[in-house]
Amino acid sequence: METTGSIKLIIESKLENVPLIGGAVRGIASALSLDDVSGYHLELCVVEAVTNVTKHAYKLEAGNSVELNILLFPDRITFQVCDRGKSLDPAKVRLLRFDPQKREMLPESGMGLFIMHALMDEVYYETESGLNVLTMSKYLRR
Amino acid sequence: MQLHQNKMGDVLIVRPLERRIDAATATEFKEKMSEWIGAGNRRIVLNLSEVDFIDSSGLGAIVSSLKKIGNDGDLVICSVKETVMSLFRLTRMNRVFDILPSEEEAIGALSRRL
Repeated sequence: METTGSIKLIIESKLENVPLIGGAVRGIASALSLDDVSGYHLELCVVEAVTNVTKHAYKLEAGNSVELNILLFPDRITFQVCDRGKSLDPAKVRLLRFDPQKREMLPESGMGLFIMHALMDEVYYETESGLNVLTMSKYLRR
Repeated sequence: MQLHQNKMGDVLIVRPLERRIDAATATEFKEKMSEWIGAGNRRIVLNLSEVDFIDSSGLGAIVSSLKKIGNDGDLVICSVKETVMSLFRLTRMNRVFDILPSEEEAIGALSRRL
């Protein structure tokens, strides 16, 4: 299926740049007439992915590029987050399991991948020739 | 990150004055909360009325504050927007924190406790 539109955004790998990407995604969600919670969910997933790249692939080292491709199809929106840093270990995707009564055991990290998998309809990750690409798609109900 | 704080009795009320608690601001949020908890504040209301975006780093910082308080105090959250509430539900953190509609109700809930 052919895209009906696409946007490419590139930021330098700094955490303070991540909200710029988030704002762009929220703007696109608004243009698609998505409700506030659905728009927040798209922004959240992209922010989690770009933050992961900045923190883990590039280890908070500035001066690297994080690229986001936003592809709009008639039935879905797809986000591709691309980097040339350290590849993700797919085994790190885990369920969010905890006992709400055991305060000392509550998770403080490791929730980002869970959130992406829970909110998006498709999530996959591939590395080719040093380029890591995380692809996430959400089907749109019109 | 700007955090407004005031005390009502022995309850500390913290209200972030920014729209986002994310990876860029979570460390500072956690450090300020840790400082106030270290100074003896064990009953805290977190008023999220200004916040419309929290990511997993921000949520982790709030959880960290609760853990720092330990079992002889509590952190109650209030005035949560629907967007942010959806994250608490998704991650089941709505079963960890008491989340109340208003600051008055949150203060009341903490005052009746302990």
